[in-house]
Amino acid sequence: MARETNLIKIIGEDNFQKLRSSKCLLVGAGGIGSELLKDLILMEFGEIHIVDLDTIDLSNLNRQFLFRQKDIKQPKSTTAVKAVQHFNNSKLVPYQGNVMDTSTFPLHWFEQFDIIFNALDNLAARRYVNKMSQFLSLPLLESGTAGFDGYMQPIIPGQTECFECTKKETPKTFPVCTIRSTPSQPIHCIVWAKNFLFNQLFASDASENEEGNKDWGTDDAEEIKRIKQETNELHELQKIIISKDESRVPEILHKLFIQDINKLLAIENLWKTRTKPTPLSDSQISGSSKINKFDSNSVGTIHEQINHFIKITQKLMNRYATEQSHIDFDKDDADTLEFVVTAANIRSHIFNIPMKSVFDIKQIAGNIIPAIATTNAIIAGLSSLISLRVLNLLKYAPVSKFTDLNMTFTAKASNLSQNRYLSNPKLAPPNCNCPVCSRVSRGVIKLSPDQLKKIKLSDLISLIRDKYDYPEDISLLDASDQRLLADYDFEDLNGRTLSEVNLGNGSIILFSDEEGDTMVRKSIELYFDVNDAFPHDTCKLPDIRIPLVKSSETSTNGDEDEDNDVATTTDKQEDGGIVILDEDEGEIELATDPLDDSKKRSANLEGFGEPSSKRKKLTNESADSDIIELD
Amino acid sequence: MTEGKLSEDEIALYDRQIRLWGMAAQANMRSARVLLINLGAIGSEISKSIVLSGIGHLTILDGHRVTEEDLGSQFFVGSEDVGQWKLEAAKDRIQDLNPRVELKFDKQALHEKDEIFFQQFDLVVATEMKADEAIKVNKLTRKLNIPLYVAGSNGLFAYVFIDLIEFVSEDEKLRSIRPTVVGPVSSNRSIIEITTRKDEEDETKVYERIKTRNSYKSLEEVLCTATLKEKLTRRQLKRVTSILPLTLTLLQQELNEGSEKIGFELLNREAAAWCGKLGVPMAILNDEYMQQIINQRYIEFAPVAAIIGGTVAQDVINILGKRLSPLNNFIVFDGVTLDMPIFEF
Repeated sequence: MARETNLIKIIGEDNFQKLRSSKCLLVGAGGIGSELLKDLILMEFGEIHIVDLDTIDLSNLNRQFLFRQKDIKQPKSTTAVKAVQHFNNSKLVPYQGNVMDTSTFPLHWFEQFDIIFNALDNLAARRYVNKMSQFLSLPLLESGTAGFDGYMQPIIPGQTECFECTKKETPKTFPVCTIRSTPSQPIHCIVWAKNFLFNQLFASDASENEEGNKDWGTDDAEEIKRIKQETNELHELQKIIISKDESRVPEILHKLFIQDINKLLAIENLWKTRTKPTPLSDSQISGSSKINKFDSNSVGTIHEQINHFIKITQKLMNRYATEQSHIDFDKDDADTLEFVVTAANIRSHIFNIPMKSVFDIKQIAGNIIPAIATTNAIIAGLSSLISLRVLNLLKYAPVSKFTDLNMTFTAKASNLSQNRYLSNPKLAPPNCNCPVCSRVSRGVIKLSPDQLKKIKLSDLISLIRDKYDYPEDISLLDASDQRLLADYDFEDLNGRTLSEVNLGNGSIILFSDEEGDTMVRKSIELYFDVNDAFPHDTCKLPDIRIPLVKSSETSTNGDEDEDNDVATTTDKQEDGGIVILDEDEGEIELATDPLDDSKKRSANLEGFGEPSSKRKKLTNESADSDIIELD
Repeated sequence: MTEGKLSEDEIALYDRQIRLWGMAAQANMRSARVLLINLGAIGSEISKSIVLSGIGHLTILDGHRVTEEDLGSQFFVGSEDVGQWKLEAAKDRIQDLNPRVELKFDKQALHEKDEIFFQQFDLVVATEMKADEAIKVNKLTRKLNIPLYVAGSNGLFAYVFIDLIEFVSEDEKLRSIRPTVVGPVSSNRSIIEITTRKDEEDETKVYERIKTRNSYKSLEEVLCTATLKEKLTRRQLKRVTSILPLTLTLLQQELNEGSEKIGFELLNREAAAWCGKLGVPMAILNDEYMQQIINQRYIEFAPVAAIIGGTVAQDVINILGKRLSPLNNFIVFDGVTLDMPIFEF
């Protein structure tokens, strides 16, 4: 009996050999990543490359089981690889870096892999890896968790829905006036303290001048005027910070919590239906020297909050000078957190809103998503398990079409079902309106430097036309700068070589059918991979099939009445087009994880007969406009 | 179980989970004592998750030595450990996961353990069990009124059996248009009390705090009486996974002498009989699955162990933290389709 005996009983000897010669990419070595690394090793994948940008933090240790107290501040990828040595039997290659960094991880670097496992915690990287998978036609196993909730979705480019085929939850936003004039919940005061006040006082270049056409959430001209004026006055406060004069901190308190509140009270319209705020009194803001440490889980008195505010502002003043006039809010920077906590709580007190503990405010201000070992273990297990089918390594469950494979969501733990622990709908085909996978096909063209200098633009056009069966009438664009290279009445460049028209390694061209019939050949985006290592006569187009599609004018018809009953999601209910303060909307997102959307979808699946029909309706949500999202 | 206050260090370490289940649940977990029987692939996953979560005490009972095969599915042992006691090889690695957890490692055989031994635990998790052993353990846990989880796998196919005897759980959820009502919700579950509270920030939101009484059956009784008749609709019965009758058949066969080897014919015949008892059409059985479950019998496979181990550990944490309604009472997992239904027997 050897270590692989049992695995061979499950997948067979020849498929075991295939697995041993497979190379996979694991993006992320955090919660799901450490679990996946363990699973992939035990499944005997031949080679596993692990990319992670992050270092280890204390709050990771409740679930990222490869990390210890002594590893805090160490890189996750290399530490994880060291931690698995005693049971490892695969070739492991760790990288500490950002997967979106094209200088370290150019597109052709991804090409060495047979399959990609996503174990990411942010939307931007998920979208990026999804795009790479589409370019290279590499299967991607996408996954995510938030607390008890988790999902896993296999993505087979061209065959099944990609990550962008369904709309992701948009960040929750608030109208300006709620934040600046009429807060009614703790979160309003926290957003004010963090995104507005903290940035105004401590961020490097706090310019709040472009307030031209934002949604104020009010038509009251008097109020808008007041908000604008207040912003200018805050620049004055920043001067106090710069002065480093600790004795002037009470001036800040006086301005924020007495003067500004009195100005608000003067706008009587605001308080017709609301409880009026009560400004602090002069005696309250004098502060006292005696200060106890904050208990992270209790709230304390308004008096304590004020004392802490004074103390922490003084501390930050001094830091501001030493840190080159620039401090960023960071939930793990105790000083910045304490400033936001105390400022938010004082404001809450004034507006008769309950104050919150450090623990609670950290969650909201730091956008912390709860995370536990068990959900990560389950989701990573599902992701690694389904890879056997994606790679077609189960003889007794052969995959004839990838839409027969399943994605999964936690059902019981997410309180969506009492009789299924997981729900497992079949994969949907690509959404025909998906801006990433459906409106254009993608591939990589491989060229030797020789060929780049030799092949004429007209040769390239013929090659592409013949290979994918495009008609006579086409257009060719350099997609990176939207430069027209050729179309029906522009053939000036056709006699030049590719290098003469400035195409080279990393260039992306867009080739489109311009015949204008009802059915057109889908456009293709080709990424130039120019490599010395290729034989000198290399000019290879990707072996993909490019389908005929309805031309875009006709593609969004149908199903319109069906859309209406599901398309209205929560973010559309309010007075359309809400805009947050302005800059940096990422900072204010309350749900960066796509999970909420997935959950919504799975919630809709429960209790309905055929998942796929329901899914189609939901995915059409994004079909009601013709907007193409560009990154 | 007593509730003590959590220290600031604990709050920082357990931050991401306290945000999910609260300080009180975390404090409850710290005073809990759990017994895990056998440290195989599923056992490794369970011990990893509950040690990380900050449970008070865990005893692991395992009398095996590390084999080459173990290396293919277990992460607490390495090739240099082959031939050693598994607990000796694994213990430092488990303790390392969370030095705050009190761990005890016991190599004595299960059949030498008596009532007094079991009495010290608040909860028992048994893995790599034959049905006859599981029933013996279950008799003891019933007698001592201790919750029991039994989990096992046959390659890509796995099950969990839960016997909490009787358990009152409390869930909180947002009240929907149709408020929850007191009364039975299924054969094993009954809502006994509902209280409401308003959201402190948004008065229009009302939360219902629902007390549910969960009743359970012993494994022995489940293997005698399990049925889905009158519990599922005809349409649902047609869609029941074949893993259910196949798993029940294998478990029941383990009660017979010399059950180690089970052939296709016998499995086919017995599984068909189980279909009859359950009330599901025999057509759900398919030859390929029957052949595979025979080929893969008793095999532990890492990804399946992660899913099953995670499921059990999560439920253990939920009931120790006294949060959320527990599983009730038989789950099967199909690693091909990722189907994972919960059955109430």
